[in-house]
Amino acid sequence: EKQNNSSSYFRSQSYPGKPQIIRCRSLEKETFSCWWKPGSDGGLPSNYTLFYSKDSEEKIYECPDYLTSGPNSCYFDKNHTNPWTTYIITVMATNEIGSNSSDPQHVDVTSIVQPDAPVNLSLETNTSANVSYLWAKWSPPPLADASSNSHVYHYELRLKPEEKEEWETVSVGMQTHYEVTSLQAGAKYIVQVRCMLDLGEWSEWSLERRIQIPKEQLPPAKPTIVKCRSPEKETFTCWWKPASDGGLSTNHTLLYSKEGEEKVYECPDYKTAGPNSCYFDKKHTSFWTIYNITVRATNEMGSNVSDPHYVDVTYIVQPDPPVNITLELKKIWMEWEVRMLQSFTISVGQQTQCKMFSLNPGKRYIVQIHCKPDHHGLWSEWSPEMYIEVPTDFRVKDMVVWIIVGVLSSLICLIMSWIMILKGYRMMAFILPPVPGPKIKGIDTHLLETGKSEELLSALGCHGFPPTSDCEELLIEYLEVEDSEDQQLMPSHDTPSKNTRIILKETDNDSGRGSCDSPSLLPVKCRESRSLPSPLQTQDVKAKEKKGRKGSWETQCTASEQKTLPCNNESTKSCTWLAVQLPSNQPAMFAYHSTVDAFKITLNTTNMNSSPVLVGNEENHQSLYPIAETVYDDIEKKSEMANSKTDQITMQVRQNQHNDKSPFLNPKLMDYVEVHKVRQDEEPTLLLKQKESSRKSKKCTVPGTSKEYTKVSTVVDHHILVLLPDQRTQHPPVSQEPVAETSQNPQQSQTEKNTSYSMTTPSDSRRDTSGSDYMDPSSFMPSFK
Amino acid sequence: MYLYLHYEEPVCADLQDERYAQGRGFIAKAVNGCHTASLTTPEDKEQAQQIHHEDLLNLILGVLRSWNDPLVHLASEVQRIKEAPETILWKAVEIEEQNKRLLEGMEKIVGRVHSGEVGNDIYTPWEGLPSLQLADEDSRLFAFYNLLHCLRRDSHKIDNYLKVLKCRLIHDNNC
Repeated sequence: EKQNNSSSYFRSQSYPGKPQIIRCRSLEKETFSCWWKPGSDGGLPSNYTLFYSKDSEEKIYECPDYLTSGPNSCYFDKNHTNPWTTYIITVMATNEIGSNSSDPQHVDVTSIVQPDAPVNLSLETNTSANVSYLWAKWSPPPLADASSNSHVYHYELRLKPEEKEEWETVSVGMQTHYEVTSLQAGAKYIVQVRCMLDLGEWSEWSLERRIQIPKEQLPPAKPTIVKCRSPEKETFTCWWKPASDGGLSTNHTLLYSKEGEEKVYECPDYKTAGPNSCYFDKKHTSFWTIYNITVRATNEMGSNVSDPHYVDVTYIVQPDPPVNITLELKKIWMEWEVRMLQSFTISVGQQTQCKMFSLNPGKRYIVQIHCKPDHHGLWSEWSPEMYIEVPTDFRVKDMVVWIIVGVLSSLICLIMSWIMILKGYRMMAFILPPVPGPKIKGIDTHLLETGKSEELLSALGCHGFPPTSDCEELLIEYLEVEDSEDQQLMPSHDTPSKNTRIILKETDNDSGRGSCDSPSLLPVKCRESRSLPSPLQTQDVKAKEKKGRKGSWETQCTASEQKTLPCNNESTKSCTWLAVQLPSNQPAMFAYHSTVDAFKITLNTTNMNSSPVLVGNEENHQSLYPIAETVYDDIEKKSEMANSKTDQITMQVRQNQHNDKSPFLNPKLMDYVEVHKVRQDEEPTLLLKQKESSRKSKKCTVPGTSKEYTKVSTVVDHHILVLLPDQRTQHPPVSQEPVAETSQNPQQSQTEKNTSYSMTTPSDSRRDTSGSDYMDPSSFMPSFK
Repeated sequence: MYLYLHYEEPVCADLQDERYAQGRGFIAKAVNGCHTASLTTPEDKEQAQQIHHEDLLNLILGVLRSWNDPLVHLASEVQRIKEAPETILWKAVEIEEQNKRLLEGMEKIVGRVHSGEVGNDIYTPWEGLPSLQLADEDSRLFAFYNLLHCLRRDSHKIDNYLKVLKCRLIHDNNC
């Protein structure tokens, strides 16, 4: 290659690149053209020459016409086109440097025939008898040579509605027009045509043409009557729904006839109730007649009638929904009150307001109301929704309130329990009056001290104290004997150390112990404000008399039966006072003051024929324990009693005076008291150990027999202890053993069969006034076992 | 007393709709006229309000009486319908009893109001019994439907008349 140094730029120049024949095509088999694509020009302008030869010849010709078909083309006209030979065509590119030839292309005219697309496509529509036609027309592709024979093309047409994807292709034949019938009314169509000669390929599709098919015009479809309603039972309205109108404007008319009539009327008023409605005013509304209503739709193409609708005005009454709903929330403690209905239908009846309770706070409620004229009407539409929100803010207050309540109640509980604990004893006694122990007057303390229970018992003259009442009625007082050293129950008591006071103690409670069978004693029933009836009226030992419940209770003297059950009327001979365990922690409960006099009488009088009976009275509320009072019979009695083979111990228990209560209320230790046994035939006397009193001479004198100990708290004054008879004796002594330590007492008492009863007789002075001494019968019980 | 009618109406409606509803095309034909049609009854509230209450009472009585007989037969014939649910049977009996009670009550009232002639002339006999006993099931059912339809309508009428009367006499037209 020659280097050209003339240009300032150094340019490499070479011979042209190889051209390439793209396509050769014949439009009508009489002429054809070829087009080529040049290669690189090598930097220099290139010339292109097309050479061809026919396969049957050697001669090489050059392209006759480079122009007609455009640049880089060669047009072979009729004269140069031989459809039956194969042309071998090459294109050569030449420039100053050199030349380059394309690959030779074999061209067979017949195989490259492809006409141009048809032209002048035109469309028309025509609608007749509600059918639309499409009329398409076109022209064959133009040829360069107008004089060429009119060729016969085959045509193909394709069309589709605009929205669709798929073409519908129709083979048209050789005509240049076509009619399409199956068209979608109202759609817009796209149409194209193409053509083909008898050999070769189809031309390209012509340009698109579009056309709008007019909509079909139909008579209207059948309308439907939607509903008829009467809002107030005087007029009514009917609504209908029109169907498709067929593309034309449609008119509706409503016609009706009444039951029993032939005449058909037209709707009196189309306007009042809005479009597609008919309003029947008062004049035209009849009740209890069935209307036959139809709607007719008419347009240019025809008309159509709805199905008949039968209506009786009476049954289509539906009022309008209620108006002017007001919602109000009122706070009521922790609930909210909403006026008006809730959406989950509550029947309000005929009221125009309604209260709703128990709404959940924090929730939002939707309220709607509807109404109904009467039970044959229809429910109106629901009123528009109304919202109301129940606030939760009060929860805070709610919590505070509850906290306060909780705190207060726990405080109260604490206080209560504290009180209970402190005064539990008393309260228990209050609730469950203690079993009164017998109070025996005139018991010789010495006797008690000596612990001769039989003697004591006999001194006490208690035999077979008849059980007089059932459990419930029996009050047993405990005589609690208390060591005066520890405390003075009564200030006036100056009992020596061993002064035992008998304090009646109440049974601690009933729990289980109330039954006669229970080792603990009979429950003591407190009787409020009992008057002290003559407790002494029990006639006979066995007879238990209850002097009214009012405050007399009788303890039962039972004989050797272990249980002295006041409950059992078959009380046995021995007097036993059931001991009730006195819980140590229980304060000594003091009896109440009963009419001392009566007691006294009973005490003193030996006239009592009645068997000793423990009478307990409770005079005031303070008195928690009844006092068992037994009256000693005189010796005669005793002897009588003795006959009964029971040791009878009548005990008289004095109730503490009221004023003495307080001291008595102090919980005391229970001390032991000696109980002398009372011998049967001895006049039982209870001797208060400490007290040396004339009481001793009371009926109940406890012989100073062997001394057995029972735990008795100090007996004060003239309380008489009835002590459990010595077990050694045939009758189980009835003794009450107030026990200081209750738990041990039973055992002790049990172990100590020989319990001596010591009764401390209260001093005279105090006799009348002393409060009751309690004897804790709790210890007795075990001894009975 | 009003309560009775209140009761009847929905019962009738139930009876009707339950079994003989439009599905069978009865309603289209059910305008066959009720046997009480010959009694000229006011067709709306205004007309009712214009009638003198004695006449209205007599009218009510007449209607009630006219229904006495049909109801008895209805109650007995309805049992012969196959597939009749239990409810229809006892409802029919109930309606009949209520009608009787209502009639008695009304007669008492009218007797008090209108001491003297009780106006026995307002009464329409009912001759529909054979139609309730037709062999052809469909026709028989249609006859039932018709009767119930009339009953429903008439009880509604009476209900309304009584309300008008009540309003007029007790509330002094202030309701």
